[in-house]
Amino acid sequence: MNIATAALAGTLADSGRPWYKSPKLDQYICFWSVPVFYNLFGLVFVPLSWMMPPRSPTNSIDGVVAFMQSPNLLLATTILILCVALSAVGNAVYMSQMRRMAVSPVLRYAFVVGAITGAIVGCLFPMFCFGLGAFREGYDPEVLQLLYDFGYMSFIGCLGCFFLNWSCLGLSILLDEKQTLPRWLGYYTIWQSVTEIFAMTLWVSDSGPFAWDGVMTFWFNMLLYVPWQFIVYFCIYRAIRQQPESELDNAPYVGGAARA
Amino acid sequence: MTTTAADTTPRPPAGRAGYMPGEPGMWFFIIGDLFIFAVYFVAYMIYRGQQPELFLHSQQFLSPGIGVINTLILLTSSWCLALGTEAARKGNSAAAFRLLAATFAIGALFPLLKMVEWVPKLAAGHSPGENLFFMYYYVMTGLHLCHVLLGLVIIGFMLRHLRHRASPDIKFIEAGAVYWHMVDLLWLVLFALFYLMR
Repeated sequence: MNIATAALAGTLADSGRPWYKSPKLDQYICFWSVPVFYNLFGLVFVPLSWMMPPRSPTNSIDGVVAFMQSPNLLLATTILILCVALSAVGNAVYMSQMRRMAVSPVLRYAFVVGAITGAIVGCLFPMFCFGLGAFREGYDPEVLQLLYDFGYMSFIGCLGCFFLNWSCLGLSILLDEKQTLPRWLGYYTIWQSVTEIFAMTLWVSDSGPFAWDGVMTFWFNMLLYVPWQFIVYFCIYRAIRQQPESELDNAPYVGGAARA
Repeated sequence: MTTTAADTTPRPPAGRAGYMPGEPGMWFFIIGDLFIFAVYFVAYMIYRGQQPELFLHSQQFLSPGIGVINTLILLTSSWCLALGTEAARKGNSAAAFRLLAATFAIGALFPLLKMVEWVPKLAAGHSPGENLFFMYYYVMTGLHLCHVLLGLVIIGFMLRHLRHRASPDIKFIEAGAVYWHMVDLLWLVLFALFYLMR
């Protein structure tokens, strides 16, 4: 949190102007939506509903029914269905930095489409599945088990979309001759994204290290993903700060507003 | 894979003490990659220790002959690449190009042989879902195969670079060579773990 506080202070002190007059205000707002999103995400997933860490695929039918009909799960899914839209705002800030890179625009379009499909299949689908269980009483336990499997499979097993999404970011960083983001981050992003595909083993394994709650599928990916997400986030912050104001897309408008 | 700094890149000094081949970013990637594989190796050994009979029994269905040929293929292609990098350092782009073309041609046999090995096994019902041994086998050799394919793409870029540039960017050639050597090193461990260990 100290780093985040220092970063926030940096945002406010940017060029000695009050923060609300910064021409990069739009990017900073998008940027600060990311910790809000992830904090909500964490609170809803862990202490509110215990959706995460993932429950076992071999959970007993009684365990599945009790979980799927929990009122907290319905509340958690409702909050997430509302706040998942924040991921669009967070991705907008990645996109605005990728737009600066001297690479083919195809990469950033593919990045955005990968992020959209990932959010729909990997977040909205599971939320609908988990929310339905508590919506109506008297669902057949087998139907609830189907929704339980569908929910976890789509949440953990749709990593192809994120693989594409992050690979495009990694490639853009590596091919960018302007070095908007550091090259080592490009390599880090590539190996992080490649390892994501290997969670696909959950489609053929319902127990052990390769199941959706397994050591190799879930925990190892988390070990790689969480530090990477923090690092990429701070690199993006540095890139926004270093971006010359003349390069901003909205420069003519904010310049006009400042004069007025 | 950028080539902007080609003409200003310093040549390696005569005494190589303290000289880092390739670019620092590539080493970051390689160390990260080795870490990922190390976690897989350790996890494999732990699960193997829990079910030694199952792993030993399943191991019999692998094809050690193809494994040996694939090891020789990667060692030979790595040797060609080392000679090619040395030629590029000496400014002999034509020889470097020929040696890298040989690296590519030999290395490209690896994925072909992998298919020759995998397809009959899958047809015989030894799929990743059969048991934990085959899951580890397909996941780890599959992850390695992705690295081989990426390596072939990188060597392709290196060949294009050598063809179009009179004075090649040594840092770029070295970075690609270091990556290919890592792919080779990982295979040696995989080969020992899956085919040889009893």
